[in-house]
Amino acid sequence: MMLARVRDRWPYLIAVVLLLLLVLVPFKWFLGQYTGLMVFIGINTMVTVGLCLLLGYTGQVSLGQAAFYGLGAYFSAVLSKTHGINPWLAMLTGAVATGAFAYIIGYLIFRLKGNYLAMATLGLGIIMYILFRELSQFTGGPDGMAGIPPLSIAGFTFNTNFKRYFLVWFFCLAILLLSQNIVRSRTGRALRAIHGSEAAAESLGINVDQFKVKVFVMSAVYASLAGSLFAHHVGHVSPSSFTFLASVEVVVMAVVGGLASIWGAIFGTATVRILSDELLLQFGEWDIIIFGLLLMLVMIFTPQGLFVWLRERWERWRLRLAQGGTGT
Amino acid sequence: MNQAILTTHSLSKAFGGLVALNGVDLSVESRRITAVIGPNGAGKTTLFNLIAGAYWPSDGEIRFKGQVLGKTPPHKRAAMGIARTFQNVLLFGNMTALENVMAGQHPRSQYGLFEAALRLPQAHRQEETITLNAMKYLNLVGLGMHAHQNALSLPLGQQKLLAIARALATQPELLLMDEPGAGLNTLEKRELSDLIRRIAEMDITLVLVEHDMDLVMGLADRVVVLDSGQKIAEGTASEVQRDPKVISAYLGEDLD
Repeated sequence: MMLARVRDRWPYLIAVVLLLLLVLVPFKWFLGQYTGLMVFIGINTMVTVGLCLLLGYTGQVSLGQAAFYGLGAYFSAVLSKTHGINPWLAMLTGAVATGAFAYIIGYLIFRLKGNYLAMATLGLGIIMYILFRELSQFTGGPDGMAGIPPLSIAGFTFNTNFKRYFLVWFFCLAILLLSQNIVRSRTGRALRAIHGSEAAAESLGINVDQFKVKVFVMSAVYASLAGSLFAHHVGHVSPSSFTFLASVEVVVMAVVGGLASIWGAIFGTATVRILSDELLLQFGEWDIIIFGLLLMLVMIFTPQGLFVWLRERWERWRLRLAQGGTGT
Repeated sequence: MNQAILTTHSLSKAFGGLVALNGVDLSVESRRITAVIGPNGAGKTTLFNLIAGAYWPSDGEIRFKGQVLGKTPPHKRAAMGIARTFQNVLLFGNMTALENVMAGQHPRSQYGLFEAALRLPQAHRQEETITLNAMKYLNLVGLGMHAHQNALSLPLGQQKLLAIARALATQPELLLMDEPGAGLNTLEKRELSDLIRRIAEMDITLVLVEHDMDLVMGLADRVVVLDSGQKIAEGTASEVQRDPKVISAYLGEDLD
């Protein structure tokens, strides 16, 4: 009985341990040398979780998330550097403007389904990339802009990786928590119903078009906030961060994590970031090929996503342990 | 005593040059079981989809509780109290049986994105009501013990029952059932008849579109027969069965 109760609490225990590890990461005597990498994982996770909601839960493809990520970054860069507006205000303005933009785009493109939707969002991503590059009087053209001020609160400036690590992960965990709550709610059920069958969802009073636009706007706002954090973190932005490949990378992160899993988003993002930024670098020019091979293996053996696959293994192992524990 | 909850007036639908439904007048009495029957291609499904709002009439009108439905989209009709089941069931395969029925509570709950994201008290309260109600409807169709099973892991008979529970969860006044008996064996059909009778006792008006004459004849208070897009007969089951026009439509006299 006692044992069973302890076992039920394991997920919480694991969460607490992971949170502790997360807090310890940036300290020099722990994994301090990876703080920069961890900041990027946090930023990317925010974009990934938006796509998980859109693609994993609602079943709507987007191959243009980098457009919203870029919009956030450029709003922050242009407003805070060129116009000298407070970086927080720039970030907020970026999020609101990107959300409004996504609302208009969503209203127009959700008449499309499946491959056509994928094509439309892909087009959006490419157009935004070209605009970032060509509107050089605002964006600095292909070279981008440098000297973007860091974020600060009441005289405390986030001017080191160590400080920004906590800032970024605060935002990232907040977004993950909000998303997790949404998924487990009436809205979450409506989104999954749309994924399951649009006709049936409509027959239950679910306004399918409206929910699609809502979740699209939400994913865009997440990406925009991430883009702003990115701009204030690295201090310079250029169009090369917001190419079609960046959008594809988001899809890969979401798929590796397990599309219909909010916490899988961290896992998928971390896996892709660590592989492509650290582990595979030693293979030189071969890294992209090995990366592709690994992805194929993941998709063949764990089509539901690496994170979800591991979680199922873990559940099965626990079940076997529980059966052994009763001594029958 | 019973007034009409749903009426159609010279309802027509053409797909390009093909007239699927041609000037059908229909009056569905409140709290009764009405069956729409007819041979293949008679326009049953077209009539059904027009009432549910899947598409709009080419001509004529539909009134629900006196209100003209016009171009009201399906999700608004569900909120008004029209629920439906599908011939091909269309359960949500990415959810458990319970969650399917919980999704059906959508128009009877209102907390939104904001309350959900912050887990505000009203979200919590409504979730409890939604779960309780959903469980009630699952038990009604006899699937209580399968609540946490994936919806598509159930056999077809139970899937159809689950779809009915999901439609009932919208707390409709009018329930449209598209071929509820299709694909069921004799025992399952008997259970289905019992369930349909119990639903009728809950003061829900039922309209069935059905191929299976035996199922319809035992259940329906009123039978409407369609053929080639037109209403050819209407009455009680026994009246309709004796009608020469119905007999010829089913046995296909004009094939000779």
